[in-house]
Amino acid sequence: MSKLGIYIHVPFCLQKCNYCDFCSFAGRGGELISEYVSALCRDIGRAAQLCGGYSVDTVYFGGGTPTLLTVRDFERILCALTENFSIESGCEVSSECNPATADLQYLRELRSLGVDRLSIGLQSANENELRALGRIHSYADFVETYGNARAAGFENISADLMYGIPEQTVESFSHTLDSLTSLAPEHISAYGLKVEEGTPFGRMKEGLILPDEDAEYDMYMLCTEYLAARGYGKYEISNFARAGYESRHNIKYWRGEEYLGFGVSAHSYFGGERFANSRDIDRYIRGLDITEERRVISPAERMTEYVMLRMRMSEGVAHSDFYERFGRGFQSVYGERLAKYTDMGYVVTENCRTRFSDKGFFISNYILSDILDF
Amino acid sequence: MSNGEKQKNIRNFSIIAHIDHGKSTLADRILEATQTVSKRDMEEQILDNMDLEKERGITIKARAVRLEYTADDGENYVFNLIDTPGHVDFNYEVSRSLNACDGALLVVDATQGIEAQTLANAYLAVDSDLEIVPVINKIDLPSADPDKVRGEIEDVIGIPAEGCPAVSAKTGLNIEQVLEAVVRDIPAPVGDSTAPLKALIFDSYYDSYLGVVVYVRILDGTLRSGERIKLMNTGAEFDVVDVGYMAPFGLKKAEEIKAGEVGYITASIKNIGDTRVGDTVTHAERPTSEACPGFKAVQPMVYAGIYPADGAKYGDLRDALEKLQLNDAALIFEPETSIALGFGFRCGFLGLLHMEIIEERLEREFNLDLITTAPSVIYKIKKKGGETVRIDNPSNYPSADEIEIAYEPIVKASIITPTEYVGGLMDLCQDRRGTFHDMKYIDAQRVELHYDLPLNEIIYDFFDALKSRSRGYASLDYELGDYVPSKLVKLDFLLNGEQVDALSFIVHEDKAYGRARKIAEKLKDNIPRQLFEVPIQAAIGSKIIARETVKAMRKDVLAKCYGGDITRKKKLLEKQKEGKKKMRQLGSVQVSPEAFMAVLKLDDDN
Repeated sequence: MSKLGIYIHVPFCLQKCNYCDFCSFAGRGGELISEYVSALCRDIGRAAQLCGGYSVDTVYFGGGTPTLLTVRDFERILCALTENFSIESGCEVSSECNPATADLQYLRELRSLGVDRLSIGLQSANENELRALGRIHSYADFVETYGNARAAGFENISADLMYGIPEQTVESFSHTLDSLTSLAPEHISAYGLKVEEGTPFGRMKEGLILPDEDAEYDMYMLCTEYLAARGYGKYEISNFARAGYESRHNIKYWRGEEYLGFGVSAHSYFGGERFANSRDIDRYIRGLDITEERRVISPAERMTEYVMLRMRMSEGVAHSDFYERFGRGFQSVYGERLAKYTDMGYVVTENCRTRFSDKGFFISNYILSDILDF
Repeated sequence: MSNGEKQKNIRNFSIIAHIDHGKSTLADRILEATQTVSKRDMEEQILDNMDLEKERGITIKARAVRLEYTADDGENYVFNLIDTPGHVDFNYEVSRSLNACDGALLVVDATQGIEAQTLANAYLAVDSDLEIVPVINKIDLPSADPDKVRGEIEDVIGIPAEGCPAVSAKTGLNIEQVLEAVVRDIPAPVGDSTAPLKALIFDSYYDSYLGVVVYVRILDGTLRSGERIKLMNTGAEFDVVDVGYMAPFGLKKAEEIKAGEVGYITASIKNIGDTRVGDTVTHAERPTSEACPGFKAVQPMVYAGIYPADGAKYGDLRDALEKLQLNDAALIFEPETSIALGFGFRCGFLGLLHMEIIEERLEREFNLDLITTAPSVIYKIKKKGGETVRIDNPSNYPSADEIEIAYEPIVKASIITPTEYVGGLMDLCQDRRGTFHDMKYIDAQRVELHYDLPLNEIIYDFFDALKSRSRGYASLDYELGDYVPSKLVKLDFLLNGEQVDALSFIVHEDKAYGRARKIAEKLKDNIPRQLFEVPIQAAIGSKIIARETVKAMRKDVLAKCYGGDITRKKKLLEKQKEGKKKMRQLGSVQVSPEAFMAVLKLDDDN
């Protein structure tokens, strides 16, 4: 049986953060949430008809803030999944969670429904930085939620961090790393802030003062080294984990494996096609066709995607796997284009694998946009 | 009506003035008052029909239009009016227009009085033997002082201004006085409509349907459609398709155009080089014995390389330059190549504004993206062997040990300014290596300064500095003077140890350090980080006089993967790849055309 990942998008937030351009509707909730959940269950039922030969081995609730759903909502969705799909035993079930949106009781019930991995958005352990980002919680809120999650029986907890945020310095980031690792989560994601158009940060333009390129580089290198020294291996550009705790769901994206996304703005890769739902929640609830940008991925594109995604991971591209899939040698296609980057130490080829070095990861867009054909 | 009678009722005249003194507005009112354009169709500055002119509020191209007027004496007159530019760069355009006229309306702002181009244009009119009719404009403004301005016109230019029209072109006040003055004071043309054809080409442009449209002033003879014409200078012959007059919104066909008249000719002329402004049109069968004296060949003052941002557009750029040249005889160009920029053209301009206008017209009217190198003047170099060479491109500048003497062009500059700014402007001229000649008081509040200034200082933001030091009140006119010996050096720039030819320029020794530091800083601010650290060096010969460093790129990453949205990431990389294709390779350094332009742009921040 083929494996399938499932992504559920929960587009609700108490408040929109200053940097966020994900699909979420701050301040909308109540009735709308339960209608939305009904629509999700309806779609799960429909999609399942296409998935006869598949078994589900990862489920991921992302947002938005999934913990704004009631326990009952979670239950309805998970039931819809078990009724319609073949769910493997040991399936990874993750949910994102915002500090101060989930108490001990709630987390206990979530755990008992089968959610076994929690990804908590911390971003920073420094209050001034949290305020600058427009987060609704304090560091103390995070510590409390983290403690509750442990008490509720979560044995696989991840925390999200950001670097390159307003007011941040290498020292303050180092403090955040210290604080977080002292709690010993199994997994840490560290993302660089990217200013997107249409967000409050985007509208601030030159008024927004951010750490410069060199400071961000220092933060990234600090993060990589600091976490490695404490047993967290970097397995993807922005993701670090204790051995065996890598996010199985996210790895599907990078390995080009199949997944179905449910809900507004959710993306899918299934049956050789990529497609996405629109951001219009009212149309979604009414059950109108909201699929956008459906496209069949050609063999040439598949190769480009493969390299683009695999190179995000520390394991990089295994030459043998590349040859099996595409019938061509990785070196014969890309070797020459990569030569100067290899000479400069940005790209490493050893043991029949090609991957980015740490400094190479940090300019990977530059290199990939140069070597790949689109 | 015999031809003599008809000619007696024709008036051919230009409107000349300093920039902003209200020429084009006066032209608007004249069009209205003669009902050539109805109020309903009227728009401001109607003759400035180029978008660029309307946006900037300046006239770049002279415009001819024919209108009819019934004077107080009860007779019907035909006016051929030519609106002209007021900026110093476009004097040539003015002088050509004046050759098609018998008189000129000299418009003077009643609040500003005589300015540098008032004088320059008045002298041009005098040189062309034109009758000058002063018109004092803007008398509706509270600070207007028409009597004082009348005095200035008489004292400074030396033409009678007693009883000249004092008007407000804006409100239309006293416009009829201008029309009557045209009838009364400007002479009717003379010319024999039965003599062999002799017509002066004073303008032309390319129309994609009609081919070249030629504007002529008929001095003698009569021209009808279907006749065979010959251009006396180029020798080219054509069969006339149409003749006619210039209406405000286009061309108006006529059966014939005659001695004394201003009109147009079309003859399916495709080859742009065949019709030169200043050439004489005559009949192929019965040519006139002598050609018109033609125009003094125009002398470009400023040169720069123009390159297509996309190298593949070289042919388009050539095509566009050829078409523009037809409409702008002052533009000259020839092919050149640059290691950094590829194939392009070295173009000659009358001044910086002219250069800016040509760039904008190329970009707008021909939809081209351009890279323009820093403007340069023509230097003359006497080499040690005794040979003298003209250098219009810094790349061709000989090395220091080959040079016996270097000469640079000087301009005779005249600056008119309110007295309170004299000190600041004299400092400016001093700083720009000027030689003071004299200072004349126009009246108690205003003076005229005369300086000799090196042209290469004028083309380096002099005009902006002049305006900022006089709060915009000083005006400048200049004409090319002699070449004088000068201590010149060629300043080169190296990126990552490799010289970038397109960045070199020639500068006076004393200015080299300051300019080198400034440009090096600009390069540092505009060159994007590369994979490696890029040293920027400014050099005279092998001596490095300024340096900066662009740090190596360290971050170019998309950290987050947007929940399975692979398409977004792919599009981002794809766009980045597209951007890279537009990059110019300067040695081992990649620079976007925009960044390159930012470096070459002259300072407006000092």
